[in-house]
Amino acid sequence: MPRRSSLVLAALAYTLLLEGMLVAAVLLWPEFAENLNAFRSMTRAIPIASDMLGEIEDKGFVAYVIGQHFFKGANALGVAAAVLFAAPAVAGEVQRGTLELWLARPFSRRRMLVERWLAGALATTLPVFLTTLTLPFLAARVDEELVLGPYLACAAHQALFLLALYALTFLGSCAESNPTRLTLAFLFFSVVQFSLYMVKTVTHYSLFRLSDMRVLLALAEDGEWNAPILVGLALTVLGSLAGSLALFARRTP
Amino acid sequence: MSAPGVIACMGLTRRFGAHVALQPLSVEIGPGGITALLGPNGSGKSTFLRLLLGLVRPDAGTASLDGAQLAGDGLAVRRRTTYLAGEIHVYGELSGDEHLAWCLAGRDARALPRARTLARDFELPLERRVRTYSHGMKRQLLLAAALAPEVRVRILDEPTEGLDPTRRAQVLALLREDAARGTTLLVSSHHLGESERFSGRLLFLRRGERLDDTAAGELMARARRSLRVQWERAPERAALERVLAPFEACELVLEDDRARLFAPRATPEELLRALLAAPELGPLRTLSAGEASLADLYRELYGVEGV
Repeated sequence: MPRRSSLVLAALAYTLLLEGMLVAAVLLWPEFAENLNAFRSMTRAIPIASDMLGEIEDKGFVAYVIGQHFFKGANALGVAAAVLFAAPAVAGEVQRGTLELWLARPFSRRRMLVERWLAGALATTLPVFLTTLTLPFLAARVDEELVLGPYLACAAHQALFLLALYALTFLGSCAESNPTRLTLAFLFFSVVQFSLYMVKTVTHYSLFRLSDMRVLLALAEDGEWNAPILVGLALTVLGSLAGSLALFARRTP
Repeated sequence: MSAPGVIACMGLTRRFGAHVALQPLSVEIGPGGITALLGPNGSGKSTFLRLLLGLVRPDAGTASLDGAQLAGDGLAVRRRTTYLAGEIHVYGELSGDEHLAWCLAGRDARALPRARTLARDFELPLERRVRTYSHGMKRQLLLAAALAPEVRVRILDEPTEGLDPTRRAQVLALLREDAARGTTLLVSSHHLGESERFSGRLLFLRRGERLDDTAAGELMARARRSLRVQWERAPERAALERVLAPFEACELVLEDDRARLFAPRATPEELLRALLAAPELGPLRTLSAGEASLADLYRELYGVEGV
């Protein structure tokens, strides 16, 4: 309960921000489409950004929505949310001295940890689905027709990507005692990864390649699930959860 | 496996790196009654209590509480006991009432109403956020949660620490009532005098090692028979030794104007009479006898520093 209310509020804020960004992006679409050439010339110095605009030019609204909502919105806000929700999960209890109080309750450590893990995982991933559900309504406002299914598939892929980062941060929280240090470390890591993504010569070293427009467009347009990526992300989630349980079992107040 | 209401451990040991926090410890406590666990800071009291609940895993040894074997993460034990942590940390964002409800999740249905009644008896404002509580109020809130569930064993780490004398007396009365109902209470404390008054049995720890009952009894007896004095001016050691010479095996520790005295076959009153009858030592400024903090006691009687 102590964390639950603040987690719900934070998840609500994250959902509203994500939805706000989506609304703004979709409503901007007609103007964006009109000025696409101008945008392309502006981004010529950044080949990756230029490539993304090329995809939008080729594929239209679907690529625009994927780029704006999943690659930009969900990656930027979702990564921050994943780190912020996971980092204090255990390390925060250690820092504020309440770990002993928490552990002394008549519940198994496994149950306590899994409950907390699931709450944060839901708070991280559910907003991606909820905001995606509003897409048909928003698309209609700019005279675009949209079938929800492929976008929900993209939401599922994106959610798994965020879940993997959440699970890794959670694992760190089970080993750490300072949530601020952990948060800053993971956010710095994410910024570095995003920077790598934007540089064409090193973009393949970026983890954001696992959930970028290329992967998501293949899923939305051709229904192509990228099995190696999905298996890798799922294994990361499961491995991190198992590691978290092992570390938490030996954690002393 | 221990009988109902009994705390039993055999060779319970815990190390933190090279530091031995608890030497192999074997003891049986209860059923029923209050057992005080005494020792200065760092003596291993809190580690022992945490080990019993599975909050810290033992390196060796076994324990069982109220018939439940300590295994895994200690869930079976925690279901049969309640615990008050020594270091008070709370979720300040919750109200007192919400905090009680959170602490008592998973307990019997009547625990929460009982905890509320106890908290009201402590005059705690349950509607206020816990972050506005004083240190003593926070301890009382957690104590209300620890005393409310119907269990046969309670483990309380310094339940009266930081409380004013009135509340202290109220808490001790509650513990006595609880013990009278047949509950086994293991209570850690720094306060030798207080523990001696409210508990039926004393367990002493020193550097993670339990003092045997003979040594503990001797320690208590020595505490009662020790005399500490301070003069207006530092007395001459030779003069003081001459005054104390008639007392067989008298131990003297003199530091400037202060002295600690213990004579196995003399009372503090007899020692004091001898000091007062020696004008060459000068007038006394302060004196105390019978009571000493455990840390002082160890230092005086065992010559152990830093425990």
